[in-house]
Amino acid sequence: MEPGSAQSLGTTGNLPGVGLASARKTLIEASNVEKSYGATRVLRGVSFQVRAGEIHALLGGNGAGKSTLIRIITGLTSRDAGGIDLRSSKADRTSPIIAVVHQELALLPELSVAENIGIVHARSGWSLISRRRMREIALGALRLIDPAIGEEIIDLPARKLSLHEGQIVEIARALSTGAEVLLLDEPTANLTAGETAKLFSVLKRLVREEGIGIVFVSHRMREIRELCDVCTILRDGVTIANAAPLASLSDGEIVQQMGQPTQRQATHRNPQQNPRQGSPIELLGPGDVRISILSGTILGLAGAPAGPTGLIAALVGAGPGAGWRLSGEGFGDRFPSPAAAARAGIGFVSGDRATKGILSQLPIVDNVLAARRVRERRRIVAAAERQECRDLVSALKLKAGSIWDLPASLSGGNQQKLLVARLLGLPLRMVVLEEPTRGVDIGTKHDIYGLIRQMADAGAIIIWWSTENVELLELCDAIFAFDTDGRPKGFLPEDRYTEGGLAELTGMAA
Amino acid sequence: MTDATNGTTTTNKLRTTRFRVPAVLFSYRTEVAIAAAIVVLLLAVGMFVPAALSMGNLQNIIQAAAPLIIMSLGVLLVVVTGGIDLSVGSVFSLTGMVTALAMASGADGLTASAAGLAVGLVFGSINGLLVTVVGLAPFVVTLITYAVAGSLAFIVTNGRSMPIGAPDFWLLNSGEIIPGIPNHLLFCIVLMVALEYVLRKVVVGRWFYAVGSSAIAARLLGIPVLRIKFAAYVASSLLASFAGLLTVSYILNAEATAGASLMLQAIAAVVIGGASLFGGTGSAIGAVLGALMITCIQNGVNLIGVNSFWQGSVTGAAILLAVLIDRFSNKNRI
Amino acid sequence: MKMKTILLAALAAAALSSASYAEDKKTVAYIAPSLDISYWQWVGYGVKEKAKELGMDYVEYTSENSPAKQMDNARTAVTKGVSAIVIGPVSSTSTPPLLDYLAKQKVPIAFAGIGPQPGLTNYTSSVTANNYETGKAQAKFTCELAKERGSKKVGMLSLPQDRENAQKYLKGAKEAFAAAGCDLVQMLETRGLTISEAVTQANDLLTANPDIKAIYGMYDEAGTGAAKVVETRGLNGKIGITVADGSPTTIALLKKGAIQGIFFQEAVGQGIDGTQQVYNALTGAPVTQDMALVMPLVTADKVDSPEAKKVIARVFPPSN
Repeated sequence: MEPGSAQSLGTTGNLPGVGLASARKTLIEASNVEKSYGATRVLRGVSFQVRAGEIHALLGGNGAGKSTLIRIITGLTSRDAGGIDLRSSKADRTSPIIAVVHQELALLPELSVAENIGIVHARSGWSLISRRRMREIALGALRLIDPAIGEEIIDLPARKLSLHEGQIVEIARALSTGAEVLLLDEPTANLTAGETAKLFSVLKRLVREEGIGIVFVSHRMREIRELCDVCTILRDGVTIANAAPLASLSDGEIVQQMGQPTQRQATHRNPQQNPRQGSPIELLGPGDVRISILSGTILGLAGAPAGPTGLIAALVGAGPGAGWRLSGEGFGDRFPSPAAAARAGIGFVSGDRATKGILSQLPIVDNVLAARRVRERRRIVAAAERQECRDLVSALKLKAGSIWDLPASLSGGNQQKLLVARLLGLPLRMVVLEEPTRGVDIGTKHDIYGLIRQMADAGAIIIWWSTENVELLELCDAIFAFDTDGRPKGFLPEDRYTEGGLAELTGMAA
Repeated sequence: MTDATNGTTTTNKLRTTRFRVPAVLFSYRTEVAIAAAIVVLLLAVGMFVPAALSMGNLQNIIQAAAPLIIMSLGVLLVVVTGGIDLSVGSVFSLTGMVTALAMASGADGLTASAAGLAVGLVFGSINGLLVTVVGLAPFVVTLITYAVAGSLAFIVTNGRSMPIGAPDFWLLNSGEIIPGIPNHLLFCIVLMVALEYVLRKVVVGRWFYAVGSSAIAARLLGIPVLRIKFAAYVASSLLASFAGLLTVSYILNAEATAGASLMLQAIAAVVIGGASLFGGTGSAIGAVLGALMITCIQNGVNLIGVNSFWQGSVTGAAILLAVLIDRFSNKNRI
Repeated sequence: MKMKTILLAALAAAALSSASYAEDKKTVAYIAPSLDISYWQWVGYGVKEKAKELGMDYVEYTSENSPAKQMDNARTAVTKGVSAIVIGPVSSTSTPPLLDYLAKQKVPIAFAGIGPQPGLTNYTSSVTANNYETGKAQAKFTCELAKERGSKKVGMLSLPQDRENAQKYLKGAKEAFAAAGCDLVQMLETRGLTISEAVTQANDLLTANPDIKAIYGMYDEAGTGAAKVVETRGLNGKIGITVADGSPTTIALLKKGAIQGIFFQEAVGQGIDGTQQVYNALTGAPVTQDMALVMPLVTADKVDSPEAKKVIARVFPPSN
């Protein structure tokens, strides 16, 4: 692997033959790629090109085959049919360097951040390690996205990073390779608005000055419009639109081609309809902050990650929780453990679904019923459970082959649905959700909104943290905002219940 | 935009106060702690039996520890990749038996040693192939080879112990390639330094940690995960084999039960030395110190004359202590 | 069609094999606690040879140190129609249910090496080493060696003291040491029963007590280990070594003068005697219920004598 030093990324590249659209060279050409997993045909003849100097949006609903296509291009998965043609625009190479940011973080938890970035720069297994050089590369790459973050985390093992920091490290790694092609699968899912903006400016500069090709997978229309030149849309393993200029398509057309419902469903907030009973539960925060919530309410949390994560930690008994306390009938001051929180009737869907959500070695049926079995103290795995699970699966429109399949057979969005579905129908007093719609397509998102509203209507308090302000505004009864330092800022006033109002309050545009 | 970056700064400020520690010393903190514990242990035993601190006794400890040290270094490689090797004790025994048998049928020391090391190569390859190509769990795979190699050790000579015929064979263990340093000590030092160097300073060494840290992520990064795992099992068996050879050279006798108790000791040594059985951590120096610690405990118990049944409990306490030190100096997030 | 043929063949084979048991030829079963210890192989050799001499068939089972497996083995043997059993039990305490069962089946049983639980009488014969008397004899001899070398201090490499035979050896040894005026300054117990462990322990023994002049080895590997250490330290002849059990390895050391005396555990002899006793029971000849054999001592100077050769023939098979 050709080591691209971080410095070279910062300077202006003088590559010959790049710059004009007409001279754009095709770096990757996938033609009629097919792939099946067992009886499921994931890709049924997909064609896709990546050209130098172009940012290419790869769009499609969950399970459309985007991640599979990326894995095939990078050689991690074999293809059943079709061709992949790789060409480099550099004279001394035949195939381009391809760097990937995978949807699920590919970090080495026990290795330091410097090593996580530096490890891909080795010429061969037998070359020696220079810690100094590794650090330089890593720092240079990290600073491209966030100048403040580098020194602080560079020597930490990756397992100590937050999701957010992990994402930055992973993007930095991809940038540091000096790749000709960057494949970014939902790279902004864990980033703040500021970091996203910075990442975009880096990407745009790389395309403009170095002439690299970028594939960008995202569900966020605004980001796609802001960044990308052309788009390819996949649906059910087939290319629907091939390298269509984005400017030629409206949002509605794109959503339609993806096979998603264009109509917003009637899930969004409707404060008059919810009768709220009982005494409110109060969250007491640092500096005399007092949040009072009635049952049946959906409370959104917005702002920099530090704020919501602290509050959520307190709610689910996962730690000291930045000084938050809980007060209400049947609740203790704070929960000593997650089990205590669960016993008190608090359900939790972690944002880290791979390691803290899905039971990866158990079939779907056990995953769906896990919380129920605990809550209802079921001692026997009854035959009736199977029907119960099948009903749930079909009600949720889970795209699952069989309830005995492992969750890994589901797409990311469907896994997320499964996690939310776990809590459905349980007598919960409070449901805490950490970014349940991260990396989820629009259709699935609306399914999840529906589930959340359903739980609220059943009388639970919903505490929902999202980094997408739009969806908070759409669904929540009230939004509590944190500022960029994670300090509680207060409720979003009714008269400012708009994106602008929320951006102003949090200091973050989403 | 500037506001947003400020947000991340605060989270990091919080952390800085918690985690800032000098890097080099911090990365060897477990090793330093064990080394200190060994010294304390020796001094404590020395209070009861002054001879414990004599040169002679220290040489005894080194000699007794040498096979365990070498075996532990092999086990460490497997443990770092997130696996486990239960077969090392059996491979150790079988190597001795095969070597002795080869000599008994007229082979010279070198040929017989090669035959012995071939045992390690064969069983290491079997372990490696079953773990990587077939994809079986390391515990199961090495449980199988543990049983098979263990029983073969009895089968080859019908359970009899075999004396060594070759007159110069003792030189392997007790000779001095470098005058003043017996070979077993030399081997330990060379292997430890070489392994520590590779694990820390050579890219391939970091790949071992990467694989043990997260095999999936390592694969996504293009690290040859299967080849690394295969190499770990072959190295582990080969080193166990070499340890067996060394022991036979020392006592000039091969026994089918020779390695039976060593497998758990080697795993214990690696754990005491700071390795996690979940993979991704551990050091060669730590494994060596762990092996020394276990041997020192045995030596101390013998010298003081405590009932030897207590050995296990004392070793257990040492493991607990080591793991606790590691745990509390290195708190995980929830 | 094919299935039927196989079934028929299997039936025929079963009929034939049961017919062979129906013949008058008697079979003796040897149930060993485990066959990875050469001692139990040697007992088996004795049983086998004696059975051949008496015109009996021989079958062998191993209990893998498990009382449950031992019981299963006995049932299997009886079901297969063996006439008598010679057993090295897993432990004395594991024997009562076994004896109850065999008494009901009226199958004679002889113990070799390890006896039944004290107090039981429903067995044919028990051929064991007299550990207590042997302990006394070995300690007396060891003490003499120490005194010849100018000290009263002796050390011991012991079997694990949870074993009954080890406790008896030790009891006898302590009494004899006291009577002969010797000091047992330290005793280390083995756990792995390997030579390398014995080497380590002998080293530790001499490090802690450099003034020890004789070492009492309670098991064969202890003798080999102690001899190795004494040789390495250049103390040949300055520290006396005695050992119980005996093997080709220790006999070679005895011939070299690295070991001064071996108290032989007559493994083969116990197998021979046990088989003779159950044969007697089957044929109605008189039986001796308890045979506690004192282990014969062979010293370095007498190792090539005819008497010594006769003793060694009752220890392990000639092939060793």
